Amino acid sequence: MKQFLYGLVLYLFLLLPPVAALLESIMIIHMHMQMPLLILSGFLMARLIQLKFPDFFRKWNSNGVPGIMLFSIILVYWMIPRTMDEALTIEASELFKFISLPFLAGVPLRDSWKKISSAGKNSVFIIFIILFSLMGWLYIAADEQICNNYLRVDQITLGWGYVTMAVCMAIYVIQLIFGDHSEYK
Amino acid sequence: MKQTQALNLQQKTIKALGVNTSDAKVSLSYLSVAFLTLLIGGILGLVQGLERAGLMELPPWINYYQVLTAHGILLLLVFSTTFTIGYQYANLSHALGGLLPKVRKFAWTGFILMVIGVVLAVTMVVLNEASVLYTFYPPLAAHPVFYIGLVFVVLGIFACCIGVFINYRHWRKNHPGQTTPLLAFFAMGVFVLWFFASIGVTVEVLTLIPWSMGIVETTNVMVGRTLFWWFGHSLVNIWYLVATSAWYVIVPKIIGGRHFNEKLIRLVVILLVILNIPGGFHHQIIDPGISESIKFLHVFMSLSIAVPSLMTAFAMFAVLERAGRRKGGKGLLGWIGKLPWGDVRFLAPMIAMIAFIPGGAGGIVNTSNQMNQVIHNTLWVVGHFHVTVGMSVVMTFFGICYWLIPYLAKRKLTPQMNRLGVIQTIIWTVGMILMAGSQHLAGLLGDPRRTSYTTYGDHPTALSWVPYEYVMGIGATLLLLGVIIQVYAVINMMFFAPKGKTAFPVSEPEDGAPSAPMWTERWGLWVVLLLMVVAMAYVVPIVDMIVNAPPGSPPIRTW
Repeated sequence: MKQFLYGLVLYLFLLLPPVAALLESIMIIHMHMQMPLLILSGFLMARLIQLKFPDFFRKWNSNGVPGIMLFSIILVYWMIPRTMDEALTIEASELFKFISLPFLAGVPLRDSWKKISSAGKNSVFIIFIILFSLMGWLYIAADEQICNNYLRVDQITLGWGYVTMAVCMAIYVIQLIFGDHSEYK
Repeated sequence: MKQTQALNLQQKTIKALGVNTSDAKVSLSYLSVAFLTLLIGGILGLVQGLERAGLMELPPWINYYQVLTAHGILLLLVFSTTFTIGYQYANLSHALGGLLPKVRKFAWTGFILMVIGVVLAVTMVVLNEASVLYTFYPPLAAHPVFYIGLVFVVLGIFACCIGVFINYRHWRKNHPGQTTPLLAFFAMGVFVLWFFASIGVTVEVLTLIPWSMGIVETTNVMVGRTLFWWFGHSLVNIWYLVATSAWYVIVPKIIGGRHFNEKLIRLVVILLVILNIPGGFHHQIIDPGISESIKFLHVFMSLSIAVPSLMTAFAMFAVLERAGRRKGGKGLLGWIGKLPWGDVRFLAPMIAMIAFIPGGAGGIVNTSNQMNQVIHNTLWVVGHFHVTVGMSVVMTFFGICYWLIPYLAKRKLTPQMNRLGVIQTIIWTVGMILMAGSQHLAGLLGDPRRTSYTTYGDHPTALSWVPYEYVMGIGATLLLLGVIIQVYAVINMMFFAPKGKTAFPVSEPEDGAPSAPMWTERWGLWVVLLLMVVAMAYVVPIVDMIVNAPPGSPPIRTW
C-alpha cells in the first residue's frame, strides 16, 4: 500500500500542468526523465493492482512474456520522434502518454520481470541496448530537425543521452553475465 | 556466525604474524613521499602567505604564482594522493590478510609512474614554464611536459586502482557468502570513485597536450573546465571518504567503543561513490556558458552529498556518546569528558570532525547560487578548503600517522611522541583557525584569491584587507611549525622509535549487531548507477558547450 501511495503521489505530481510543461520543454528531459518517471509511478502502483487482481495477471501474464511484450511495444512507440511531437500538439496523444506509460508499461514490467527467465531478461536488455544505440545514432546524425517542437541541439543532446544509457546498460549486462550474482539473492 | 569466526581467525593470524613486511614497504614508501612533499609544500605555503600579506618580497628568480602553483600541486595533489594510497593499501593489506604479489607490483608501478610524473610537472613549475595554478585548466597554458607529467600521475593512480580491484575481487572469490571487511570496502569505494573521477581529467589533459604543443590551435575552455572539475571535486570527496574510513572504523576502537551499524556505513560509502562526480559543477556557478536551469539542477546534485555527510555526523556522535557513557559518563554531556582527549590518535581526528561542521556549512554557501556570487574567487574559498582539507582531512591523516607508521615500521608510539602529537595538533588547530578564519573574513570583504600582494593604489577597501592578511601570515607561520613537528614525528616513528608491536586499531560491531547485507557488495551495480548519474549530469551541458561553442582559445601565458 505504501508503494502504491508513493507511485500515486509521483503520478499526480507528474500530471500537474506546470510540472508537465517544464519537463516537456526540454527534449531529453521529456523522453529520458518524464517518461521513465511515469513508468516508475506505474511500477510502484503495480503492487496493489497485483494484489487486487491476482487472477487477471495469472491468466494473462502467467510466464511474463505477454507483459514484457506489452512493455516493449509501449516503450518503442514512445521512442519514435513523431510520437513525442504528437504528445505536445494533440491532446489525445498526451492523454495516451499519461495512461500508457504507467499502466501499460510500468505495471506489466513489475509483473513480468520476476516471471521471465534470466535469458529473457538478457534478451530484453540486449534489444534495448541495440535500440538505444540506433536511436542515439539517429538523433545525433540526423542533419534535419526530426521533431518540430525541439531544436537540433536538443536532438543531439537526446542522441548522446541514448548512447550513454546504452553504454550503462551494456556495462550492467556484462557484469551480470560475467559476475557471480547468486550470493546477492 | 561463520563469518565472525572466519574474521576472528584472520585477525588472530595477522596479530601473530604482525605486519607483512613487503606490504609495509609499499605503504611506507608512499607515506615517505607524502611527508617529504608536505615539508616542501608547507614551506612554500608560508612563503606565499607572507608575500600575500606584504610582509615579505620574493627574490626576482621566483614569483608568487610559481609558488602558488607548486604549493597547490604538491599539497592538494601529491601529498593527499600519496598519503591516501599508502594508508588505503595498508588497510587493504590488514583487512584482506595481505596484498597479492601482483597487486604489490601494481602499487610499485603506480609509485614509479607518479614519481616520474611529479618530477616532470614540478620541474616545469620551477622553470617558470607552468604557472597555471593547481587547477591547470585552459586558457592558461603550461609547457607540454607539465601535462605529460600529469598523464604519468594519472596512470599511476589507475595502476593503484586496478591493484585494489584485483585484490578485492580475489578475496570475494575466496570468501563466498561473506561481506568484505569494512576497511576493504572503504578502499574499494575510494578507488572506484578515483578511477571514474580520473577519466574526466585524463580526457582534459590529453586534449591540452596537442594544444600546448601548437598542433591544435584552439581548445574549448568550458569543456576543459568542466572536465577538470569532474575530477577536482571528486578528488575532494575521495579525501573525505578516506578520512571517514578512519572516523567510522579506527576512531571507535581508539576510544574503546564499537563502530556504528555496518549497513549504514556501507550505504554512506555507496552514496558518496554514486552521487559525487556531478558536484563539480558548483565550482562553475559563475561560468557564463552554462544555462541557469542546469546550474539550478546542479545545486541539488551538489547538495545530495550532504545526505551521507549528515548520516556520518549523526552516526559519529552516537558512537562517541556510547563510548563515553560506557566509560561512566553521566548526564547530558558528561560523556564528552570521558573521551581520551590526551591521545593524539583521537584528538587529531576529533578536531578534524568538528572542523567539518563549519567546513560543510561553508560548502553549502559555495554551492548556493546567490551566496556563491558574494564569495566567488575571493579568499573565502581559500579559507574554505583550508578548513575542509587542511583540517578535516589532513588532521585525520596526521592522527592516523601515530598508529599506522609505528605499526608499519614495527615500532611503538612513545608517550613523548604522543605528547608532541598533541602539541602539534594544538598548534595546527590554532594556526588553521587564524589563517582560514581570516581568509573567510577577508573574502567576505572582497579580497581576491590567486592574486599577488597589491593594495590597488592604496584603495581604502583594499587597505581594509591588510589586517586580515597579517593574521593569515601569523597562521601560516604556526602551520609551518606544525608541519615541521609532524614531519619530525613521522621520521622519528619510522626510524628511531623503540622497536615493538603496535596494534592496528580496527573497531568491532556492537554485540548482537546485524551483519552487513550482501547486496552492498554489488559494485557492478554501483558503478552503473555512478555512470548513469554522470550521464544525467553531463550530457546536456557538454553537448551544449560543444555544439554552441564560441571560437576556441589559443594557449595563453600570463607570466
